[in-house]
Amino acid sequence: MASSSSSHLPQSVFNPRRHVGVHAERVSDVSSTEFPGHYPGEDHSWNLAKFKQNLKVSVKRLSQRSVEFDLVGVDAAIANAFRRILIAEVPTIAIEDVFVFNNTSVIHDEILAQRIGLIPLNVDPRLFDFRPPGGIPMDRNTLVFKLNVTCERAKKGSSSPYINEYVKSGDLVWEPQGEQATVFASRPPAATNPDIVLAKLRPGQVIEMELHAIKGVGKEHAKWSPVATATYRLHPLVLLNPSKPVPPEHAQKFAKCFSPGVVEVSAAGEVSINERYLRTETMSREALRHKEFEGCVELKRIRDWFIFQVESEGPYTPESLLPESIKVMRGKIASIRAAAEALLEDSQHLGGGVGPDADGDVNMGGQ
Amino acid sequence: MADETPKIQILKGAASDLSAATYQIHDESHTIGNALRWMLMKNPKVEFCGYSVPHPSENHINMRIQMYDGLSSLAALLQALKDLDDLCVTIDDAYTYSLRNDNYERWDEKS
Amino acid sequence: MSSQQGNNYGNGGYGGNPGQSFMPQQRQEMSYLCADCGASNEIRPREPIRCRQCGHRIMYKKRTTRMVQFEAR
Repeated sequence: MASSSSSHLPQSVFNPRRHVGVHAERVSDVSSTEFPGHYPGEDHSWNLAKFKQNLKVSVKRLSQRSVEFDLVGVDAAIANAFRRILIAEVPTIAIEDVFVFNNTSVIHDEILAQRIGLIPLNVDPRLFDFRPPGGIPMDRNTLVFKLNVTCERAKKGSSSPYINEYVKSGDLVWEPQGEQATVFASRPPAATNPDIVLAKLRPGQVIEMELHAIKGVGKEHAKWSPVATATYRLHPLVLLNPSKPVPPEHAQKFAKCFSPGVVEVSAAGEVSINERYLRTETMSREALRHKEFEGCVELKRIRDWFIFQVESEGPYTPESLLPESIKVMRGKIASIRAAAEALLEDSQHLGGGVGPDADGDVNMGGQ
Repeated sequence: MADETPKIQILKGAASDLSAATYQIHDESHTIGNALRWMLMKNPKVEFCGYSVPHPSENHINMRIQMYDGLSSLAALLQALKDLDDLCVTIDDAYTYSLRNDNYERWDEKS
Repeated sequence: MSSQQGNNYGNGGYGGNPGQSFMPQQRQEMSYLCADCGASNEIRPREPIRCRQCGHRIMYKKRTTRMVQFEAR
């Protein structure tokens, strides 16, 4: 799990203002205090140039399914906004309407429909419109799949005694509607994984259904969430107290209190921290439980160093998820801005002030 | 049914010059609430800024802004929105740059 | 939650299934499933209820093929 690219931490990491304290039974200094007026004589007002200079975004690990990246120099409010958007507001396509014509399997219609809704589909949501509630299904907002499976007894001597014993996500048959045949010609809509078992059948049992998939977001239902997990943690930091070194006879015990590689012990029994492995530290706080290490070590986390771990489950490649979430965020900002500008315009028309009307509320049409 | 709810409403009790006001932002949550609150607090002309989700079943947030020197909280809100947008662009650019140019570990993960 | 839709299903482009009627045709022999061996049996009026394969006397009615709509939630 160790990241190969990080070597030494920048010196600014040891600035105590960036530290969140991790103690045996509590954490301290969780919130940032860097706001205008908090420290006399210091300027903490928003400054884009300064932010650009301090910001560090670096991808650490990338696979077909997941990405790990560092976001350094932002507040938790910002990091959390992206995490929340990744989970709940980046749109995907999922099956919403299930029309059951026949189902003689042992799994009930309702349960089967719920399972089918959770299948991740490989369809790019950017090619789709949202279908409003009660809206008419059209080729721009609805995908149609058929699921027709009948289980039969196999011929003697075949490897399995049954044909179609398992109903899998790969059995979904896409039925192009309107322009969809050309739009999706290069990548026909299907499940991202064809081996998800939806139901098990025995000879004579039949499943016959039509499925309609629409675009949605995770806050409506988790089936539309594009990620399996989107999470962050703060970069760990272990500080040794130079005025109270770890007793050499306990050095090995001390090293065992941390994740492998974090603490190195020299031949003389001197203890040091290997910064390369710090990000793998689990922060178990084991070192704080032992009397002999009291005052030797402090555990910290770096308040503005977010280690994101994002696992994609759906149509997006893992590396394209953060840019998508930024797009959604900017869309939200734009809609609020349009509404606020409309408010401002109205207040100027009224002659210097939006006075609350008779019922006390000021109503302004947004967007 | 058309959505008649305005995106932003100024709640009653606001100062007539809008130097102190509570904005009710519809269809938003902690995602925007906390980020916008942080950006507003970065403005030295803002005396106080806080937000709340009044009730989890109501789909809006209340954003309270109080200004020094009788300045307009609406102007501060617009500035914060602009700054937040700049921040998003900056992060997007930095991420894209890292993705293109950095030498990071690529590995094979079976699904 | 489910709602049974008859012929108003699939308005706006998605036609239903042409040729498929949800009402069973009249005077048609009904097909039943044997409770013992699972074989399909057609039983005519006033005929003894008995499986042609195994002689079992208990029969199940088949599930309706009328469409039922569900939300995948």
